[in-house]
Amino acid sequence: MTGNRRRSTLFLLILAGGLLLALALAGGLLDDRALTTDFSRKNLPPCPAYLFGTDWMGRDMLARTLTGLSLSLRVGALTAAASAAIALVLGTASAAFGGWVDALVSWLIHLVMGVPHILLIILVSLACGRGFWGVTAGVTLTHWPALARLVRGEVLQLKGAPWLRMSRRLGAPRGKILRNHILPHLLPQFLTGLILQFPHAILHEAGVTFLGFGLPPEQPAIGVILEESMSYLTTGRWWLALFPGLALVLVVVLFALAGERLRLLLSPASAQE
Amino acid sequence: MKRYAWLVSLLALSLLAGCGGQTRNPSPDKAAVTVVMPPTSEPEAGFDPAFGWGAGEHVHEPLLQSTLTVTNPDLTIGYDLATDMRVSEDSLAWTVTIREGVKFTDGTDLTAADVAFTYNAARDASSVNDFTMLDRAEAVDDTTVVFHMTRPFSIWPYTMATLGIVPEDSYDPAAYGSSPVGSGRYRLRQWDRGQQAILEANPDYYGEKPQMERVNILFMEEDAAFLAVQAGQADLAYTSAPYADQTVNGFSLLSVKTVDNRGINLPVTGNDFLSDAEVRRAIDAGIDREEMVDHVLNGYGSPAYSVCDGLPWFTWEARLPYDPVEASDWLDSAGWHLEKEYQEKIPAGQLYPLDCGWRYKDGVRAEMELLYPVGDTVRQALAMDAANQLGRLGIYCTVRGVGWDTAYDEALTTPLVWGWGAHTPMELYNIYHTDRETGSARYSPYANPTVDAYMDEALACTDLEEAYRLWQTAQYDGFTGVTRSGDCPWVWLVNVDHLYWVRDGLQVAQQKIHPHGHGWSVVNNVDQWEWNS
Repeated sequence: MTGNRRRSTLFLLILAGGLLLALALAGGLLDDRALTTDFSRKNLPPCPAYLFGTDWMGRDMLARTLTGLSLSLRVGALTAAASAAIALVLGTASAAFGGWVDALVSWLIHLVMGVPHILLIILVSLACGRGFWGVTAGVTLTHWPALARLVRGEVLQLKGAPWLRMSRRLGAPRGKILRNHILPHLLPQFLTGLILQFPHAILHEAGVTFLGFGLPPEQPAIGVILEESMSYLTTGRWWLALFPGLALVLVVVLFALAGERLRLLLSPASAQE
Repeated sequence: MKRYAWLVSLLALSLLAGCGGQTRNPSPDKAAVTVVMPPTSEPEAGFDPAFGWGAGEHVHEPLLQSTLTVTNPDLTIGYDLATDMRVSEDSLAWTVTIREGVKFTDGTDLTAADVAFTYNAARDASSVNDFTMLDRAEAVDDTTVVFHMTRPFSIWPYTMATLGIVPEDSYDPAAYGSSPVGSGRYRLRQWDRGQQAILEANPDYYGEKPQMERVNILFMEEDAAFLAVQAGQADLAYTSAPYADQTVNGFSLLSVKTVDNRGINLPVTGNDFLSDAEVRRAIDAGIDREEMVDHVLNGYGSPAYSVCDGLPWFTWEARLPYDPVEASDWLDSAGWHLEKEYQEKIPAGQLYPLDCGWRYKDGVRAEMELLYPVGDTVRQALAMDAANQLGRLGIYCTVRGVGWDTAYDEALTTPLVWGWGAHTPMELYNIYHTDRETGSARYSPYANPTVDAYMDEALACTDLEEAYRLWQTAQYDGFTGVTRSGDCPWVWLVNVDHLYWVRDGLQVAQQKIHPHGHGWSVVNNVDQWEWNS
């Protein structure tokens, strides 16, 4: 069974990575196409030429969906990386130094976790002037605590481990201990956390944009697309919401699955199952 | 229990079907009508004329109160409470006589004192309407009121057409908005904030008795309004072009001509590209408004050539045709040329193909940005279509959405898609006249002393007909003005038709040309509506 799971996990990871790349590329290539309005082809239902149909300004929904996803993935990648980095630094520092540093970091974690995510994202995004950087800042600043807490716990546990204390007694420098003992142990948690951060970030980006506090409306983003489609549902233009929504769900599920599998594989408790 | 489940569901189903069937029938009450308006039409400060009810950006007849004058279907001035009005030789005093025997809904008489009180109160309180030209209103006797002006204001009758008269004795600014007392065709029976307002005919009304005795106004978003129509819960509901290709059983689409225009400002200073009058003229000549109406409004609209199309102060000088060749010539003459390779491709004097490349001047590309208010899909589509059309001229135009919090400031240097259209020539003044403090027009940088002079003269004029003529001359006098032949500081795009779903059998009375705002205008004459028997 193990071989099978390894293989399917690898497959999922490659698929996710490939999709990431493909979408990033597509976003760059289709950007023009997604913005082009052509009123002679407005409100077309899905057809061979426009697989996802067109909207009320004759924009190609397939191109818009792909560019939107690509934008979401860029926001996702950036925020996942940034928030994971914050989590790693704060979590490690908190556990390593203890004392007032630990108190401060724990307080920060509780502070951020105590406010509903979406509310905080809206606030930060507004404060940073909305747009790409507003959303990125908002999602980044709200998504680090869970992972930071995890890292902190892990490091605390490692600190007490006999082999690590032994190594310190033997006079190993701090840097070496960090490199050789702590970081390798943290890696599985960290990687899994990083990948699981992804779907969260994407959904929150879409969510905050849908609510009108994120990306600007002329930018082809999934949140914008879904928000716009709302006004046309009553007139029966189902394709405006369905395909972009499905695409978003697919991408999110893919990354969630990949992260989950990776966790099972890397975690010592389940790696040998 | 499970055995009865089917019975319960069947019952529920039949109930649902029953309700559906019932609501689909036309209202049994032949003297009532249910009208759906957008939530923005609900007066925030209540039905108090001093706080903007009936006036302001979305002007309409106040219904619950009567006004001194009214605007006729052709937008000239008629009388309601007034029986006569005169303006003094120096234009600084208006004497208005009012009709006798008018009663408020609380039973008291409406006298000149009430009129004077209302105007003085509005002057002090109104933030929506401009009353700075009114020094004070004075009741000379029971039926005569004199308005002392601070400056000549020939279009005072248009202001008098918007302000409903309130009773001096019982008026309380805090309470009046939710329990208004007026002398209009209707009185407010019920108001559920955020949901509905119910009007019923005023039995003491001095004029013709309203045929519709009850008017229910529901406030709903556009998609909810459409669903309400589909469910048969409304008799008339506002809608817009994206819904116009739908069909609803038992309803038909009513399209009302408007002066609810959309246009873009071209800042005369502060924007390098647009500061050249020839470029602005090129843009005006190069916009195909008919195409825009088809593309964006599905045909429910008309080309706009000024801010006041079809009103008595509209000038035909503004009505210049779409002419891409002229546009191209203007751009060439301004020094913006197509790249060489494209120039050769285009036969002389012909409309060039879509991918004609961009125009350049000294190595700089012809570029501009066009703003639209976020959330307004019609203006967004207009901006996009305008950008496409400008692209055909060789101007690289990008589009960006802005919130109203920053839009006014940004518009001072960047064109914005605006919406205007009011039943008063004062709008021309607001848009084109130089502001004394800033030395430039209010919404978009522009100043032309000649245009200012004509408008000042129009305001000082004692004869309304003569004033109309001056308002027209202000727009273009044969040498200068604000049209394409003049400075062209604004380009007008389209007038958006106001669309409504109307239940079959409901006779909506003849509508006067609707102003900006898709709300109360339609019920201006709801008292004359009737159901076919």
